[in-house]
Amino acid sequence: MPLGSVILAFALGAVICLVTGANPIDAYSGLLCGGAGLTCSQGENSALQISNTLVFMIPLIMAGVAVALPFRAGLFNIGAEGQLIAGAVACTAIGIQFAGLPGVILLPLVLLGGMAAGALWAGIAGVLKATVGAHEVVTTIMLNYVAQWLLRYLIIGGPLQLGPGTSTSKPIGQGAELARILPADNSLVIFGLPASVYRLHAGLFIALIAVAAFAFLLWRTSFGYEIRAVGQSQKAARYAGISYRRTIILTMLIAGGFSGLAGAVQVAGVDHNLTDKYFYDTTGFDAIAVALLGLGSAGGIVFASLLFGALHSGGAIMQSDAGISSNLVLVLQALILFSIAANFIGAIRRTLPFGRAGPAPVLPSELPPAAGLMSEAATPPPETA
Amino acid sequence: MGHKRLRFLVLVAAAMVFSLACGGTSGGGGTTKTYKIGLVTDTGGLNDKSFNHLADVGLEKAKTDFHVQGDVKESKTGDDYIPNLTDFASKKYDLVIGVGFLMQEAVGTVSGQFPNVHFAIIDGAGTDKNGKDLQHPNVVSLFFKEQDAGAMVGVIAGWLEKNGKAKKNKHVIGAVGGISIPPVNHYIAGYKWAAKMEDPMIQVQVGYSNNFNDPAKCKGVAQGQINAGADVLFQVAGGCGLGVLQAAGQAGVYSIGVDADQKDADPSVIASALKKVDVATYTAIQNVVQGKFQSGALTFSIANDGAGYAIDNFDLPSDLKAELDKVQGEIKSGSLTPPADIPA
Repeated sequence: MPLGSVILAFALGAVICLVTGANPIDAYSGLLCGGAGLTCSQGENSALQISNTLVFMIPLIMAGVAVALPFRAGLFNIGAEGQLIAGAVACTAIGIQFAGLPGVILLPLVLLGGMAAGALWAGIAGVLKATVGAHEVVTTIMLNYVAQWLLRYLIIGGPLQLGPGTSTSKPIGQGAELARILPADNSLVIFGLPASVYRLHAGLFIALIAVAAFAFLLWRTSFGYEIRAVGQSQKAARYAGISYRRTIILTMLIAGGFSGLAGAVQVAGVDHNLTDKYFYDTTGFDAIAVALLGLGSAGGIVFASLLFGALHSGGAIMQSDAGISSNLVLVLQALILFSIAANFIGAIRRTLPFGRAGPAPVLPSELPPAAGLMSEAATPPPETA
Repeated sequence: MGHKRLRFLVLVAAAMVFSLACGGTSGGGGTTKTYKIGLVTDTGGLNDKSFNHLADVGLEKAKTDFHVQGDVKESKTGDDYIPNLTDFASKKYDLVIGVGFLMQEAVGTVSGQFPNVHFAIIDGAGTDKNGKDLQHPNVVSLFFKEQDAGAMVGVIAGWLEKNGKAKKNKHVIGAVGGISIPPVNHYIAGYKWAAKMEDPMIQVQVGYSNNFNDPAKCKGVAQGQINAGADVLFQVAGGCGLGVLQAAGQAGVYSIGVDADQKDADPSVIASALKKVDVATYTAIQNVVQGKFQSGALTFSIANDGAGYAIDNFDLPSDLKAELDKVQGEIKSGSLTPPADIPA
């Protein structure tokens, strides 16, 4: 079904191209060139395109996991972006503070620090949900803004600012940088270009390990069983002796850890500092589409991330080669999301409290787990429903 | 048959004339090279009605004047700067232009990887992670004397106050900056300096919103200045500054736009201080096409028509017009030099 969504989106995108007077074949061959290094017509370097796609894919995988895991527990984590920023900030702060430490110590420190910060950020929403019933959709969205503005303060006028008049942080220490797959050397020529242009870094392996850990956690551990049980039916889970409060909090903590890792890996592997790009960054939001398109499964998330990474990378090539605005890529992403959401509309409507038909839960037996938690925290539901 | 031969001869003659004409314009070269120019916008995109748009205007003008193939890539996020610059460079473009100081680090990195490709960057240099100019021999920085443009609109504000032609005429004007960084302060320096020159009694209020994007932040600062009696407000805060123009419009006082002509942003806009990014972009392309590329910095000012002003929703009195022409001429000739630092 998601494959159908993708095909539908591309077909509709072709229609949009035709209607606006552009050639869809040019558009898609440009997209394919930038995304996969195939069908390049103007001397693009295939290896460079593939490297760029993979660089964009890496954070999407980890952030996608951060959305998919809570989804299994019936929670909507819209805050992957904020958690990612928290991770990036922590990674940078540690990487600057302890810049002198050797890589063996500093690199694990910045990555774990990023995970901890992301976990903390998501944990706020988890604890609020489990204790006072604040809906995680609302709290995680709000925490995104808090993270963005905190970051802005830190790098503009705050303690991490590089210098007066700049909107970037100081760079992290060398030891905190993730290794490149190819050496970052301007004089070494590989595939016809200086080796330093291929920015693919060891974060690829971290992302793949993360997604494998997600699958293991979900399907091979008792906690994963508890997550799925709470997601399927919160009442049945409680009846089976599963503490849903503990499950909710732990799920959000772990999810935030994945998001925070995404931010830390981005800083350690690509950026090496914080910039105000996070005001326009959409990785954490694309991750929602990735998790939905990947049906919340490990393999699906990897493939969906690859697709979105390729779309991101291909958009710019499409614009310069075919003269079609790279905004078409955003249209395609939106169409994919829309056609998936069309299948999920029922589930989304029932999960959101304001999406329900009536103001009161008239038929408690039809309430899904997330909404059930909401009403239970506010007013305990009848024991015999 | 004769008819066909005649047509062939005409074709040959036409081809000869054409090739002679081309040879004449390209300075004697046998074949005319098409120069490939790549333009990378920052996250504002081509429709920002400011820097990116003006850079594209300069590129389009170069396309009509020279043998130039111009391609544009819009950066969606800060993650796109390096891939976009790298793509043009890897395809051996003759000149790759980055718009805006946000791209400094990316230009620094990519220009080091492609020493045989020329780069130009608007409002910045090719730097390393610490913001240090790497001074690569293939990078030219395009800077502006914002104080020149600021001085021209400062003349307007000061003249209005001195001659009682403003709205309240309390000899108070204001300037709202985004963040206290050099390009912003250059504008304000010229504005304050020229306003004082016109009207020695004038009091210039300077405030900062610490923001470049959120109009509400600038609106608050502007309202504070209006309440303190200011009736001409100069915005130097990009998208945030639209709030200054709105606040002036709502309070019924005058405002002054920045960077591009902001006539349409609000009816209160009487003039705009212009940073002619189109002129800078065109000049950079022209230098490459004519083989005159030089690394280092090019500075655009009133003297080379790279900075200036526009009169917007306002009937310019002829006395003021004369004063503006006089000051512009004096700045151009060098007998007047607006300061780069805000005067006391």
